[in-house]
Amino acid sequence: MDSSSFLPAAGAENGSAAGGANNGGAAQQHAAPAIREQDRLMPIANVIRIMRRVLPAHAKISDDAKETIQECVSEYISFITGEANERCQREQRKTITAEDVLWAMSRLGFDDYVEPLGAYLHRYREFEGDARGVGLVPGAAPSRGGDHHPHSMSPAAMLKSRGPVSGAAMLPHHHHHHDMQMHAAMYGGTAVPPPAGPPHHGGFLMPHPQGSSHYLPYAYEPTYGGEHAMAAYYGGAAYAPGNGGSGDGSGSGGGGGSASHTPQGSGGLEHPHPFAYK
Amino acid sequence: MEPSSQPQPMMGVGSQPYPAAAPYVPVPGSLAVPPGSQPAAAFPNPTQLSAQHQMVYQQAQQFHQQLQQQQEQQLREFWTTQMDEIKQANDFKIHTLPLARIKKIMKADEDVRMISAEAPVVFAKACEVFILELTLRSWMHTEENKRRTLQKNDIAAAITRTDIYDFLVDIIPRDEMKEEGLGHNPIVGLPPAMGAPADHGSHPYYYVPAQQVQGAGMMYGGQQGHPVTYMWQTPQGQAAEPPEEEQQQSA
Repeated sequence: MDSSSFLPAAGAENGSAAGGANNGGAAQQHAAPAIREQDRLMPIANVIRIMRRVLPAHAKISDDAKETIQECVSEYISFITGEANERCQREQRKTITAEDVLWAMSRLGFDDYVEPLGAYLHRYREFEGDARGVGLVPGAAPSRGGDHHPHSMSPAAMLKSRGPVSGAAMLPHHHHHHDMQMHAAMYGGTAVPPPAGPPHHGGFLMPHPQGSSHYLPYAYEPTYGGEHAMAAYYGGAAYAPGNGGSGDGSGSGGGGGSASHTPQGSGGLEHPHPFAYK
Repeated sequence: MEPSSQPQPMMGVGSQPYPAAAPYVPVPGSLAVPPGSQPAAAFPNPTQLSAQHQMVYQQAQQFHQQLQQQQEQQLREFWTTQMDEIKQANDFKIHTLPLARIKKIMKADEDVRMISAEAPVVFAKACEVFILELTLRSWMHTEENKRRTLQKNDIAAAITRTDIYDFLVDIIPRDEMKEEGLGHNPIVGLPPAMGAPADHGSHPYYYVPAQQVQGAGMMYGGQQGHPVTYMWQTPQGQAAEPPEEEQQQSA
């Protein structure tokens, strides 16, 4: 404790030192920010070794994929830890336990993990009970892990988040994800979306007179989403005044091309019917 | 000029069926689903085209279902393997990930005060399973694209496809997520439409209406259940006229 108070970096590590002492592990001092940044990622050699266990022999892994998995693992630890810590604070406890970690996983959607890890924890405790006193081995394990630093890679930017921030941030992420899904579903993931316009009831009214003789074909319209259909009709209506005849229709088509492709086709083909309607 | 000149010859030929065809244009245009290629000059028999489209659609659907079943089977086997490995675990002194590093990452959150000795042990196993599952899901995307190198966009695809990975979206840039869309094209055996020139893009939009109407007529129910059919509809761009005639016959 006295030695740690002398170093500036040790001040930041104060909680870590206290935690380490409580768990019987040796306090580690890291003055350089580069080292601390490096320590925020799992060793890449360990990560690659685990990845290869699930990949076929001929599979290759790009360097950016290796680094991405490294970042994902650290983010996963912070994500689960944040939720586990919130539970500890609510119950006014100071120590995050293995049960808190498992509880956080089930709460955050990692239900498949709880059963295997629960069994793992159970076997670990049996192992601890059979081997030697529980008080000694838990202290030794972290130290052994601390000595093991294989092939650390250069530091990469990692998102640092606290428990409350992680919890709050999850909602916008989820919403964003769904927005992306909806976007891909609407536009096939590759198409350029048509020009967006406010919903226009007039657009819905237009096809009815035309549909009097062709009602069945228009029955399919609702299945394709009224908003975009109305936008298309709105575009068609916008070009209708310019359609005096075949020659004018051609000119209108050219004008539509300058704005966007969809209104161009719509204006070009639609000209007789809006005229007849009006 | 070229797109606008297209409809005039068709309207000039046979006035009776073509006025009915015109009203279909704006509705599917709003969906903006690009066809895979420009329609051919010759129009084969509509009945044969209909049968061929039906066959292509069914084959694509079966392929997609088989792919999903294979992937779900892979994940089930993955979890069974994990349980078996855990039941056979006997050496808890050797961890695949260093406990001190895990503890340091946990302590990066300043609100975290004390950590029991068992928490990093559980995390070491949890991270191992997490890496394995994320790698497996990413590799599925690599295989869909017929590659042998796992890339960052494969990981991005796995993250966007799996709900429990939502907390990782900030790690993947938006452009990587866009590339994920390309991964769906091989499922239906069609070339990706991205990167098409602007001029070329005008033609697909012009022919979108016919394929949309055709799609609606052939698979009303399937449309809702399988968004992937949007990709399948692009082959219909090759025959704009016959589907419209078929639509009139059904009406």
